[in-house]
Amino acid sequence: MTTPLSVLIVDDDPALLQALPQALRLRMGGVTVETADSAAAALDRIAAQDYDAIVTDIKMPGMDGLALLAEIRTRRPDTPTLIITGHGENELVVHALRGGACDFIQKPIDRDYFVAALYRAVRAHVRNRRVKDRQLALASCADELERIVQKLEREPRAVLGRADS
Amino acid sequence: MPETATDEREVAVADPGAAETAEHRLRAHVEMLERRLRKRDEQRRAMLHIMGDLSEFNKRLANQRKAMLHVLADYEQDRRRLARQTERLDNSRRAVLHILQDSHKDTLRLEASRKAMIHIMGDLRETTAEMRRREQELRDKQEQLVQAGKLATLGELTTGVAHELNNPLNNIGLFVGNAVDLIELAGTEKEQIVGELRHAMQQVRKATQIISHLRTFGRAAPASREAISLRQVIERALSLMQEQLRLREIEVTVDLGPVEPVVLGNAIQLEQVFINLLTNARDAVAGSPRKAIWISGSARSGVVEVAFADTGPGIPAGLERRIFDPFFTTKDVGKGTGLGLSITYGIIKEHGGTISVVSAPGEGATFLIHLPLAPADTKETSP
Repeated sequence: MTTPLSVLIVDDDPALLQALPQALRLRMGGVTVETADSAAAALDRIAAQDYDAIVTDIKMPGMDGLALLAEIRTRRPDTPTLIITGHGENELVVHALRGGACDFIQKPIDRDYFVAALYRAVRAHVRNRRVKDRQLALASCADELERIVQKLEREPRAVLGRADS
Repeated sequence: MPETATDEREVAVADPGAAETAEHRLRAHVEMLERRLRKRDEQRRAMLHIMGDLSEFNKRLANQRKAMLHVLADYEQDRRRLARQTERLDNSRRAVLHILQDSHKDTLRLEASRKAMIHIMGDLRETTAEMRRREQELRDKQEQLVQAGKLATLGELTTGVAHELNNPLNNIGLFVGNAVDLIELAGTEKEQIVGELRHAMQQVRKATQIISHLRTFGRAAPASREAISLRQVIERALSLMQEQLRLREIEVTVDLGPVEPVVLGNAIQLEQVFINLLTNARDAVAGSPRKAIWISGSARSGVVEVAFADTGPGIPAGLERRIFDPFFTTKDVGKGTGLGLSITYGIIKEHGGTISVVSAPGEGATFLIHLPLAPADTKETSP
């Protein structure tokens, strides 16, 4: 992870939008944190930029966290999304996880747990991307090999001759 | 004697001597006869006289008889009149007797009535005492019901409030954690740390406000009467419901006009009225395309009217009266106690006011509350 991480935090509570980014900056050196105070504002930012992770509250006026999650899944299917839930809102947690959230964080937020979860999500995201990249690379290698095999079958001499020389 | 005279004449005839004597004798005899005749005549005249007197007497007698007959007729008439009067008198006597009897009976009846009346008065006094006792009991029960309803409201509020409390607590944890991190980092500016802690303090205040308000609301307040500002009551009720209304995007407009309506009452109880109405409105507008609550007020001639309107589906026709009955609810089982509006009704009535509902189909419900304003000289005490 050479490039600095960029994270988007979505919540309607201005105090939380002050406290949580600060905590991340202190705990995760070199992270860029952006905030949005509503789901609509978050969608605007997502359209403009690809984040390494998105953290959103569930209970928000207007479009809530679950709707935002569904929207992120269609627009940025690769971006890992974490959900902040109140204590004991297990039903919402299940909903969120089924809806494609990669993890959930309960309020009051334990900062160590939060940072670990965020790292885990980002790393998993990176790994996923790397796996996908390698899969692509492997696929193209396999294609290449296939082509070589076919070529060999068609003109073995030329190939062998080249090999001799 | 005539025979004698005849004899004498015969003697005289026979004897002329004798005739002389006979003549004498005859003369004497004639004289005696003449005397007798005169006497008889006198007697006859006297008789005539008497006869005349008698006739006179008789005539008088006849007159008297006639007079007597008249008198008798008169008497008869009088007697008949008397008989009639007697009869009439007798009737009157009998009537009077009847009346007297009736009067006696009436007196008896009156006496019985008086006795019955005394009984009834006694019963009435007992009943009144009983009534007063029942009334007191009812008032106690009403107070208990208000408290029970308050606790039910509190229970319902708690879920929302727990979420509200969780936010400042969470923020406090984050701010303090940041401060700790900053201190551990060393070399960070003091102001930065103080800034984090100040933010934390702010959140502590927010949490305290919520909790203290819940505590005042839950307290079993004595039903004291103070001059209170209706505006403050409504604002405090709104502050308890704020988060729930905000998350549901329910737009609330309060317009109490330019005058400050002050009523004599119990702030906590009146606050409950508005919390109950807000809770109902919150649930009512849940499925509406536009979610709004309007609270408007106007004061005139000693009465303040508060209209509490929402954009929900309104109240089905025929239920306008029943919604104030205890345990009547249109909400699903477990969603509502059915006590909210009945308690609201009780509180408003106890404050000398009225509450009614107007609901045109498809136009939401409007609750109209009328409360008597406090007299101008009462001093307002902050609730």
